[in-house]
Amino acid sequence: MVIDDSSAMRLILGRIMRGLGFDVVEAPNGAEAIARLQSGAMPEIALVDWNMPVMDGLAFVNAVRKEEKWRQITLMMVTTESEQSQIVRALAAGAHEYVIKPFTPDAIADKLALLGVLAY
Amino acid sequence: MTYIPSADDLEVITREVWTSFLDGDPAGLLPGGSGADGDRVTGCVHLSGAYTGSIMLQCSGPAARDAAAALFSMQPTDVTQTEVVDAIGELANMVGGNVKSMLPGPSALSLPAVVHGQLAVPGAQVVREVQLTWRGEPLVVSLWQQAAAAA
Repeated sequence: MVIDDSSAMRLILGRIMRGLGFDVVEAPNGAEAIARLQSGAMPEIALVDWNMPVMDGLAFVNAVRKEEKWRQITLMMVTTESEQSQIVRALAAGAHEYVIKPFTPDAIADKLALLGVLAY
Repeated sequence: MTYIPSADDLEVITREVWTSFLDGDPAGLLPGGSGADGDRVTGCVHLSGAYTGSIMLQCSGPAARDAAAALFSMQPTDVTQTEVVDAIGELANMVGGNVKSMLPGPSALSLPAVVHGQLAVPGAQVVREVQLTWRGEPLVVSLWQQAAAAA
């Protein structure tokens, strides 16, 4: 699942993920992503932007981590928020990894491999 | 003493964003330029907190269309205003977020705003600016600070 309010970024991340063999669903903010999860989507991994309207990425991570049934979803922040304190907040909330924009496709693949959701 | 990113810092960050998502070629973005006059598009993100101000990215209309076309993998002639707004907003967000990491924190980063034309930031002044040229078109990145904080 790719969650980003920029349709260009969803396109770019979606293309990278499809190239790595994933099926991709998209959401333009945390609230729509939660709605998709509530309607039965169960992604292996969610790539989550931080700054989004309606529900931001940190609120999404908090909401997902409150639900036992979504515990297995791997959460990776992909964001321009690069202050150390913000990274710590996201990881403390339950994000597994953190990628700062701009990124390369290799950086995304390396992080996914590190998380064990991508086998090289 | 508070460190304010230099014009060179703005250029390095912009070059990294452009190389990652638009050209793949660091030489595609050239230093120098005349600034964007006439038909121009401005993307802006605001910071509030330990540093209060804005990061603004301004380019010509043709450069904005080319940037959107590159991000969306489209022909420039097929790009609509929706794609231009999305692309310039995301580019401003990426440049702004990385500039923010060099400023005193913590600060909150706003969602990007995009306008066709020039954007005024009441009570703020430019503290750093870099003029660049991309595909023969002007691109200006500037860092603004609220006057009260700058004084």
